Amino acid sequence: MGQTALRITRTDKIMNSNNLIPGKHVVVTDFDGGEGILVDLNTKKYFQLNETAMVVWKGLEQGKNVGQIADDIVARYEVALDNATRSVERILDNFQNYKLLTAK
Amino acid sequence: MQTDATFSDDGAPGRYGPQRLSVELANICNLHCSYCFRSEENLYNSRAEFFPVELLRRVIGEARDVANVTKINFTGGEPTLHPDFAATLETVAGAGMTSSFVTNGWHFERVWPAIVANRHSISHVAFSLDGITRETHDRWRGNGSFDRLVRAFSRCYMSDLPFALKVTVRRDLMDQLEQIAMFAARLGAAALNFVHVMPTSTAVADESSLSLDEQRIVEEEVAILARIFKMSIGVDVGYYNIDEENAPCSPLAGTSMNVDYRGRLSLCCNLSGFRGADEEADVVADLNVEPFASAFAKLKELASLQLQNRKAALAALRAQGVKPDLFTGSPCLFCLQSFGKVPWRSAPEPELVSIRGRRQ
Ligand SMILES: C[S@@+](CC[C@H](N)C(=O)[O-])C[C@H]1O[C@@H](n2cnc3c(N)ncnc32)[C@H](O)[C@@H]1O
Ligand code: SF4
Ligand code: SF4
Repeated sequence: MGQTALRITRTDKIMNSNNLIPGKHVVVTDFDGGEGILVDLNTKKYFQLNETAMVVWKGLEQGKNVGQIADDIVARYEVALDNATRSVERILDNFQNYKLLTAK
Repeated sequence: MQTDATFSDDGAPGRYGPQRLSVELANICNLHCSYCFRSEENLYNSRAEFFPVELLRRVIGEARDVANVTKINFTGGEPTLHPDFAATLETVAGAGMTSSFVTNGWHFERVWPAIVANRHSISHVAFSLDGITRETHDRWRGNGSFDRLVRAFSRCYMSDLPFALKVTVRRDLMDQLEQIAMFAARLGAAALNFVHVMPTSTAVADESSLSLDEQRIVEEEVAILARIFKMSIGVDVGYYNIDEENAPCSPLAGTSMNVDYRGRLSLCCNLSGFRGADEEADVVADLNVEPFASAFAKLKELASLQLQNRKAALAALRAQGVKPDLFTGSPCLFCLQSFGKVPWRSAPEPELVSIRGRRQ
């Protein structure tokens, strides 16, 4: 058992979400207040998502790219577009590192 | 995460747990598990009936005063289909008792606000699991069941609400016990209870029920898993047990009892509304019209009679030097036989059926 908070970590990898969607092996649960939990059915691990990470996950579910998801974040929170874009990229990077995404 | 060795509905000999009542909140169910022991008539054909909240309030109050009942476990049918599920939890909390319930998990998200509101009085939730992948679980419980169950685990896990998994060990699951335990442990279950299949027809017996030798292999494996894993792991009553001294389970020890969806007091939730049964000798009183005190006295009498009956059957076989077969050695199968729940089976020995035919 184990729960991983998807903290944003520094990375130089450039992400492009155009081809990425949530893996079929991941089950998402929405919590009140915009947070969420992912369960990876392959590893049987929980991942706790904060509000921003949930917006990214939902965006991926809807087939959105990095720019569109960053726009969603700007619309919701008081944050500049370039900061939002960086956050989205870092979160995507984390999702990918944990093998939570698959190609479209 | 808190763990609680009393999550199992039945106690091993010598530890029968606190005085408790299982209450069937609904006769109906949204799923169609083919091995289910509840009557299909009740689950799918008769009109939906839900346990009245007022009756619940009276029954649990009397049960607390008369029988020191402190825990209520809701079952069904599917208990979360009760239209006022929140009120049932509130009623238990209001009586100063703790509640738990066993569910297929399908409607967990809908009842979640009621759970959160009554969290302080809910000891745990038990989820029924039929496989550790979408394919294997949903094969028995229908498409979408597995994902809903995993979401339900997520809610419990994140909210520190202890949850148990209940797995009916069909033959196709026999060689997956370790994977099931790993699945339960990784997802944070506080307990894993295996249950032997109570057969409802020749087809279920042939396809899913284990033979005595297979049961023994399963029980040995479960004992090993219980030593390895931190969470509580066990086999609920139903396993082969020819101890003549001790009651094999909490209902026969007089520490637990069942109230069916119509408000009738009966011995045990395993026998209630049993699919294909032609008798209801396990029902002792209608609590709609009878106080709990006199109903409870009848129940104790029935439990004691059944216990004597079982001891006599085991002693008779021992005297003859005959090893009890599965339907005598397994306490639950013995109950099924002696309470007339398995008419599709060939007639048992006459001395095993002294309760048969007793009607309320
Ligand atoms: C009758 S169900 C009611 C609660 C809910 N609908 C559920 O499935 O969890 C209670 C428990 O009985 C188990 N059960 C059903 N049929 C059974 C059988 N033939 N033998 C043993 N256990 C059985 C279910 O798997 C479940 O864990
Ligand atoms: S085991 Fe539970 S979910 Fe399945 S049919 Fe029976 S009552 Fe319904
Ligand atoms: S069916 Fe009989 S032996 Fe099994 S738990 Fe119920 S009362 Fe006990």
